[in-house]
Amino acid sequence: MVAQVEDPRTVTSKYDARRLLNSTLLYLTVTVVSLIIVFPVYWMLISTFQPSKYILHYPPPLLPQELYFDQFAELFTEHPIARWLRNSFLIAAMTMLLCMALSVLGAFALSNLRWPGRNLFGLFLLVTQMLPEVLILIPLYIIYRRLNMLNSIPSLALIDAAFILPICIWILKGVFDNVPPEVLDASVVDGCTELGALWRIVLPLSAPGLAAVAVVAFFFAWNEYLYAGIMLSSGEFMPASVGLSTLKAIAQTPVEQYMAAGLVFSVLPVAFYLAMQRYIVSGLTAGAVKG
Amino acid sequence: MRLERLCSLASPSPSSLPDNQPNDYPIACADRPNSPLASSQVNSTMSERVDADALADRSSRTVAPPRLFRRRFLLPFLLVLPIVLYEGLLIVYPIIQGIYGSFTRIELASSAATIWVGWANYERMFSDPAFWKVIRTTLLFTALVIVVALTIGLLTALLFNRPFRFRPVARGMLMMPWAIPEVPVVMIFIWILSPQFGVVNILARMLPGVTKNPQWLQVPELAMGWMVLISSWKAFPFYSLVILAALQAIPHELYESARVDGANRLQLFWNITFPGIGSTLELLVVLAAIFSFKQFTIIFLMTGGGPSGTTETIVIRIFNTAFRFYDYSYATALGVAGFVVSLAVALVFILMQVRRTQESA
Repeated sequence: MVAQVEDPRTVTSKYDARRLLNSTLLYLTVTVVSLIIVFPVYWMLISTFQPSKYILHYPPPLLPQELYFDQFAELFTEHPIARWLRNSFLIAAMTMLLCMALSVLGAFALSNLRWPGRNLFGLFLLVTQMLPEVLILIPLYIIYRRLNMLNSIPSLALIDAAFILPICIWILKGVFDNVPPEVLDASVVDGCTELGALWRIVLPLSAPGLAAVAVVAFFFAWNEYLYAGIMLSSGEFMPASVGLSTLKAIAQTPVEQYMAAGLVFSVLPVAFYLAMQRYIVSGLTAGAVKG
Repeated sequence: MRLERLCSLASPSPSSLPDNQPNDYPIACADRPNSPLASSQVNSTMSERVDADALADRSSRTVAPPRLFRRRFLLPFLLVLPIVLYEGLLIVYPIIQGIYGSFTRIELASSAATIWVGWANYERMFSDPAFWKVIRTTLLFTALVIVVALTIGLLTALLFNRPFRFRPVARGMLMMPWAIPEVPVVMIFIWILSPQFGVVNILARMLPGVTKNPQWLQVPELAMGWMVLISSWKAFPFYSLVILAALQAIPHELYESARVDGANRLQLFWNITFPGIGSTLELLVVLAAIFSFKQFTIIFLMTGGGPSGTTETIVIRIFNTAFRFYDYSYATALGVAGFVVSLAVALVFILMQVRRTQESA
């Protein structure tokens, strides 16, 4: 029943005329609201794909005047962005692997097993997930400094995984909850242990949930700025989130390169987050609200 | 009953045991016929299990040996042990260290032992007018983001809940700001707000009395306004998505019967929609408080707390105290204050959740 009133032949009575007006208003509002929301993203694309001579002009043109694609090559030759991205990728991949391994265990215990202390464990995860990262930064920085663990990519991945693990467990718990208990019972009747059931029944049935956990963990570490900036102060290990923040628009970096850098950094997280949004929402609200 | 009881008959999987332990447990998985114990063991335990399923009362008598039972009982604890240890080492232990550190004088540069100073850091904090200013800024910022982000989230959810063509595309666009990482968001807005070439200036110049481009991030009120707007722009799609899910959970029949009874749109909203999403909204207020209280990257990279401290929330203050002024002990005291606040809000969230699950159960 999607807005069939648009067909003029159906507009015969006054009632239909009102519906037409209503749906026109609806489309108008949706369009305006969407434009406002998306405008910053649109502006990023516009500023990336046209030479800055157009945009460094007041007032800047709202529509692209000329397409230009050399900024990406210039960006990669003039800035160590390839190295930044490689560092980000390494941190993110390590965080992802650690989180996937640990969250499978935690989610299975939280979802499929009954044991005293289960609720307490869930609560523990919930609280750790809600603490602002900066509160733990200073003590952790001092500890890391004493242990000589600063400026090391695996050390940072350890921290990132600790912050995102509770959310990953909550996401995966929500997915494991959907495995029908009858299937698990049947597997145990057929002679599987609990861990056997986890490996052979729960995990294969939860592939999308595992993918969601991988996405969440990977891009949390990919996007993370605060800890990366403090723990990896040497340029050699600088990840892209920190690297990009050192770029200065106009003064140092041409606008089209500046925005292209942001674009290159955002493409992957945007694509994967949009694909996995439902799972991520259920994890962030600790299962209270299913997205 | 189900898995718990049935599992009590199953032996733990060998893979759950540390490598150095003797592997003297029957391997119960049927698809491992090559292991020495499998064939005989599986057959015997299988028949027992079928019995147990049929005659539930008997299961207590045919339960596996106590030693095995204890192993099975331990399994959940063994599973969560690495997680608790891990989170304990990287989250809980630093918090305890931080609380301890807030009572000492921390000198990172010298290797001198830390000096116990008692409540000195806290006395300094409570008598410091700058601290109270930071608290006011934090409250203002958090409250404004909650209001702005949730209002936009609610309005867009109501709008996008109505059927129209291209709705999936429009919803995908709606989620964009949430999916873009914070650092590129900052880059976009630094560019948009550039006093020289920023595109926002076109809009501002349309206002009466504005003859030159404003210094968006140099004027206190404007800077605060932009911090709130950008944080809300980044956060609202998440709230919108959650509210949308709650809206779709409201049964359609309610609207239809109310419409038959002659209710108008406003009445529909106040009597059906609003109660239907009320508890979700409550939860989101708390969640939004937690998220905006945590907000660091956007403020830090755009204003760094300025101009003259007007956008300096407590997380920014903690960072600046530690890594700009190298006053680690005072920063940890501030951190403990922030910890107490966020713990209190987290408790509210948990209590609300417990209430919700009790209601739905």
